[in-house]
Amino acid sequence: MATETEDAHDEGHHLPAVEDWPRGFGEASWWPFVTALGGAGIYIGAALYLMSVGERNIVGPMVGPGVLVGSIGLFLVGIYGWMYHAFVTHFWERGADEHSASKLRWGMIAFLGSEIATFSAGFTYFFFIRSQNAWAEVAADLPHLLGSLVIINTTLLIVSSVTLHFAHGAIRRNDRKKFLGWLAVTLLLGVVFIGGQVYEYYEFIVHEEFTLTSGLFGSAFYGLTGLHGLHVSMGAVLLTIVFVRALQGQYSADRHVSVTTASMYWHFVDAVWIFLVVALYVGAEVGA
Amino acid sequence: METSGQLLLTVLMGAFLLGVAAFLARVEDWRSYTPLGAGGGAVGESGYGHAEKPAGLIRWLTTVDHKDIGLLYGAYATIAFVVGGLMVMLMRAELTTPATDVLGSATFYNSLLTSHGITMLFLFGTPIIAAFSNYLIPLVIGADDMAFPRINAIAFWLLPPGALLIWAGFFPIPGVIPAQTAWTMYTPLSAGVGAGNQANVGVDLMLLGLHLTGVSATMGAINFIATIFTERAEEVTWANLDIFSWTILTQSGLILFAFPLLGSALVMLLLDRNFGTTFFAVEGGGPILWQHLFWFFGHPEVYILVLPPMGIVSYVLPRFSGRKLFGFKFVVYSTLAIGVLSFGVWAHHMFATGIDPRLRASFMAVSLAIAIPSAVKTFNWITTMWNGKLRLTTPMLFCIGFVSNFIIGGVTGVFLASIPVDLVLHDTYYVVGHFHYIVMGAITFAGMAGIYYWFPLVTGRWYQRRLAKAHFWLWMIGTNVTFFAMVLLGYGGMPRRYATYLPKFATLHQIASLGALLLLVGGIIWVYNIVTSWMEGKRVESGDPWRLDETNLNTAEWDWFEAKRETSLAATDGGEEVKTDGGQESRADDE
Ligand code: HEM
Ligand SMILES: [Cu+2]
Repeated sequence: MATETEDAHDEGHHLPAVEDWPRGFGEASWWPFVTALGGAGIYIGAALYLMSVGERNIVGPMVGPGVLVGSIGLFLVGIYGWMYHAFVTHFWERGADEHSASKLRWGMIAFLGSEIATFSAGFTYFFFIRSQNAWAEVAADLPHLLGSLVIINTTLLIVSSVTLHFAHGAIRRNDRKKFLGWLAVTLLLGVVFIGGQVYEYYEFIVHEEFTLTSGLFGSAFYGLTGLHGLHVSMGAVLLTIVFVRALQGQYSADRHVSVTTASMYWHFVDAVWIFLVVALYVGAEVGA
Repeated sequence: METSGQLLLTVLMGAFLLGVAAFLARVEDWRSYTPLGAGGGAVGESGYGHAEKPAGLIRWLTTVDHKDIGLLYGAYATIAFVVGGLMVMLMRAELTTPATDVLGSATFYNSLLTSHGITMLFLFGTPIIAAFSNYLIPLVIGADDMAFPRINAIAFWLLPPGALLIWAGFFPIPGVIPAQTAWTMYTPLSAGVGAGNQANVGVDLMLLGLHLTGVSATMGAINFIATIFTERAEEVTWANLDIFSWTILTQSGLILFAFPLLGSALVMLLLDRNFGTTFFAVEGGGPILWQHLFWFFGHPEVYILVLPPMGIVSYVLPRFSGRKLFGFKFVVYSTLAIGVLSFGVWAHHMFATGIDPRLRASFMAVSLAIAIPSAVKTFNWITTMWNGKLRLTTPMLFCIGFVSNFIIGGVTGVFLASIPVDLVLHDTYYVVGHFHYIVMGAITFAGMAGIYYWFPLVTGRWYQRRLAKAHFWLWMIGTNVTFFAMVLLGYGGMPRRYATYLPKFATLHQIASLGALLLLVGGIIWVYNIVTSWMEGKRVESGDPWRLDETNLNTAEWDWFEAKRETSLAATDGGEEVKTDGGQESRADDE
């Protein structure tokens, strides 16, 4: 507030960014600017990359990837600083009232709503081609979709949701040891799942020669599993952050909002996977 | 030639940017701007600038204050509006003659057409609404700030790079040409296949830029939902939440599902263009899939753009009618109804594509139904004014202009929603007339109502009243001349998106261009008025500049304004500014 005076503070005007750099200003922070610069840089890097491919040759081939990597770095620095100053420092002194928790939960709910729309476009494409006459041709040379790998991976992911739920329950009872244990198991399951996906890609691409450009189903398969894989990876990153903070001794029975929001995200990604398996894996093979 | 047109545009944009720079340099206290417009000298004494924000440029780059971010959005949207406006002025100049005599090439015309639409919808429309909502929502719901102030700042800072990517085709980069896909980006043209030039990377840059602005809009929407749900002051309940907040909440809900879907569709298109996928290839999802996805976003998008302006009108119009908004509840219900229904009408943009007739009929039914909540609102505005004590201030004039233009825009829409009529009028200037009555005649008018109404709140000064009235009348007449001519052109069978036309359409096209000229003059007056008034306008002399207390129609943001005035007057106690301002009877600028 530009003309905020001392007594206005006394009325309880809350300053959101006291810790952030530049220090000493309640409503100023470099982190959003840095994060946005990094985020936008990722797009600009992608643009420069596209300007170099094929016969375009407008910029050198390494410019795009260079900008991309640099921007990702900047983006991560921004996120780190932001998260650190907003949530991590003064963890135990920060207000932990129901209000600030509910605002973060609402933020996550809204974000997950937007995620439904993000996934919908790809699913719509798949349903579109699945219901067309041309599908018969596609179905003739599908890769081997329903093997033990999918079943194991699906089981892993479902179990990871359960273990995460246990972890969440443990911290609610202030049982730190169990919390850390279940969280570690969850993280492990998540990483194994990602490994399984990479293995499946490897099998398909190298041994079955089924790739992104293999035609109608290739676009749907790699589009959707790729998008989902990005989400699982992002979820694993979130859980890692929670895990590291837990190792540092943070969280307690009445301070665990980020455990809640990260769990919501993880369960969501899990649910999308189940839908994806039913629609894409089973839906493609059964009745094909 | 095309290059001369490009050159012209570059010069125009250059001149405009110079103007912006000159303005920034002239506002001597921009480094230490305070909402009350206190002169540079008073700043240090009023205690500003040591606790909340650093001074100078750094303040603007680092701010997480919703009011500052609102102003940044406003500045951004204004720049985009001027750029998009200059683009369309070149187009209207071209359309004064049947051949491409003015710009020299249809390619350049098509580039301008594409960029004008995208600029106005994504870089002006959505951000100008964000300017109002950022500045005002926390004030009217009694919140300290947005729920997530840092996300708020990130969302804004994603926009300027987005604009640069979208406009990149116009920059003198060798090998990059502007997209010519029109704002709807229909495949296969936008997929870059075939003999055309749309495989050019300029299209990819535009798609990336659009995706970035979509991410920004989605972040903003999440923030507003969390803010309105959890940051309301105790006395602000759902039952007495103001109408503007309701429309922003609904709008945010629409953004939440519309923009990410467009985002994914854009990525799929990028993959098709560059990585050999088949999402929109003819043998794959095909052009129809693109149209379904695009319009599933696109129709809600038009309500994303119109609901908050409706909220502004519902908020401002009663203040100058001397009575409360008639049927408040029904205005809220109709907002929610529109929000829900707007996801069920998208295929009315595809009536002419040969989709299943049963599908078509059901979309026709829902499209006709959505006119009902729109009409409910219109009747509520009219009834609010009925027998009211109208004060024809500039914001009120723009509100009335809004209602009037919205009626024409809405009625033309209802005709389009009827399949047999649409099959005749689809892809003609009638459609262009229809939606411009709404995007220009209604949305932009409401934006102007808001800008004039809250100008004293933001700057502590008055705009110049006669200039403002001139602006209104030029725009009211200009809008109707331009866009009614387009409706008539459509009836005559003039197809949209062409740089050339049959000589028989010349007169109506020239009339439309004449109207556009009026809009340009009005726009210049507007910018001049805002800039000069911000710097040296008459100071506001009371905390209730619109004298809302007399009719018991005061609202929370003016209470905040009054409180802030008092503290700042106390702090600058006896300052020169205060003496000249003190003690006078407050008067609204115009009646
Ligand atoms: C009263 C309710 C409305 C109805 C029934 C309606 C109906 C329609 C229909 C059927 C079309 C397709 C015409 C065609 O291409 O053949 C259309 C186009 C359009 N409408 Fe509306 N409309 C309504 C309100 C609005 C509003 C409120 C907005 C803007 C905020 C709007 C913006 C547009 C735009 C931008 C297009 C053209 C899209 C394009 O093809 O580029 N309409 N409208
Ligand atoms: Cu529509």
